[in-house]
Amino acid sequence: MTIKTEEFLLNLGPQHPSTHGVFRIILTLDGETVVKAVPVPGYLHRGIEKLAESRTYTQVIPYTDRLDYLAGMLMNWGYVYAVEKLMNVEVPERAEYIRVIVGELARIASHLVATGAYAADIGGLTGFIYTFRDREDIMDLLEMISGARLTPSYMRIGGVAADIPDGFIEKCRRFIDYLPDAIEEYNGLITGNEIFQARTKNVAVLSAEKAIDMSLSGPVLRASGVNYDLRKARPYSVYDRFEFEVPLGTKGDCFDRYYVRLLEMEQSAKIIRQALDQLPEGPIKGKVPKVIKPPKGEAYAEIESSKGIMGTYVVSDGSTNPYRVHFRRPSFVNLGYLDEMLKGWKIADVIAILGSIDIVLGEVDA
Amino acid sequence: MAKGLIKGLGITLKHFFKPKVTVQYPEQRLPLPDRFYGKPEFYYDKCIACNMCVNACPNRVIKLETETVDKKKVVTKYDFDQQYCLFCGLCEEACPKDAIKFSKDFELTRYNRPDIKIEFVQPDQVERKKEEIKKAAAAKAAAEAAKAKEQEEQKPADAGEEGS
Repeated sequence: MTIKTEEFLLNLGPQHPSTHGVFRIILTLDGETVVKAVPVPGYLHRGIEKLAESRTYTQVIPYTDRLDYLAGMLMNWGYVYAVEKLMNVEVPERAEYIRVIVGELARIASHLVATGAYAADIGGLTGFIYTFRDREDIMDLLEMISGARLTPSYMRIGGVAADIPDGFIEKCRRFIDYLPDAIEEYNGLITGNEIFQARTKNVAVLSAEKAIDMSLSGPVLRASGVNYDLRKARPYSVYDRFEFEVPLGTKGDCFDRYYVRLLEMEQSAKIIRQALDQLPEGPIKGKVPKVIKPPKGEAYAEIESSKGIMGTYVVSDGSTNPYRVHFRRPSFVNLGYLDEMLKGWKIADVIAILGSIDIVLGEVDA
Repeated sequence: MAKGLIKGLGITLKHFFKPKVTVQYPEQRLPLPDRFYGKPEFYYDKCIACNMCVNACPNRVIKLETETVDKKKVVTKYDFDQQYCLFCGLCEEACPKDAIKFSKDFELTRYNRPDIKIEFVQPDQVERKKEEIKKAAAAKAAAEAAKAKEQEEQKPADAGEEGS
């Protein structure tokens, strides 16, 4: 006798802690195995691109904080970089160095959240607490320099809002010196854990060709062994002056995606140390008119954010408000391959795979 | 077999003997940096009603109304609708007189929605300012009158000299 079976639908989210926000996946399941996965983004859509059209160029900056709110500094940077390109503004050297310092700090903070949240997704909540303990130091640093923890609005068109405050450099150095110890702790606590490895190794292997085809970027792409980091491949700002490596994965499985982030943190710390050593004196804001009115035209600029390539496209019609702003959000693009990645895996692996892409819903939905 | 697991447990065990990193919040508080954006503060006497903060705000949070007394602007209303505030600090940056500043007070929750809006300007402040301007204008007028009188007194003398 045969038992009649059928596939069934399961909504993962939108209210589910392991979707890292309000993200919904409609899973078609055959028992416990995923047959089809349809991601449904948009629950956090605020229409930031449209809002930008009714704001002046400077007023868009606080809105970019709210894209990837785990690395607001990098989102600021992506936007101001595009407007600077549009206006042909030269940014003073000191401002560029400050940008690199705060940008890399934000990258470490974002990766710490990714690492900790991933450990929590797999079932080890302790890892989450440990990474957040160290992230707090970065939050303090960012609060010191910009006045806010998550939404710094620190960058301005042509430079940064304020100079480095007293005590920042010392505190930053102390954190950079401490970071290797913290990473060693994560390695002992999370990376080396047998259960964690069993859950992540050889799960959802992503080949390099496929990753390139789907235009994935950031740690997700590099975990598949593709050496493409904008900071090295097409250096912007002053990144060509620093010595650092681009960590690569070998297999492209969940473990590689997780581990590449840990290695990237070490490299970011290396960049910050060099930037602090080379930090020049000088102005922090270039020659920018008080009322920003870029000439008619358009510009597209890309930076390497913590999630991947963050591109900003700005069109100007010659007025004080941008005619159109578009953000290429890496989290959103990286999600494009989710269906293929989830197919054939068990429902428990869905959480592990989604966590390894490291999405931020503010960025996915914009 | 479970070497990594035991190592991890060892790390957590070590932390039993290390100082705590958390703070008992309402009683104990960590110091806030000077640049912190908390509850906004408005300095009535510093404000010159230039509208820079109103135009700098991305969300049009600030409502500023003025009245002209003796050709001078008097701020009669400065409402800060905090619920729409992004705490980006663009208004503070735009202000040429440091009339708006963000304090370190971050406990901004209220029980009722109407309480969120901050109305900075009190009626008596406006009255006082108006009085001051009127007084200043009167004093100025008196001074000018005195000056004119002096000049007038000097003038006939001058005219007399020229005429001779």
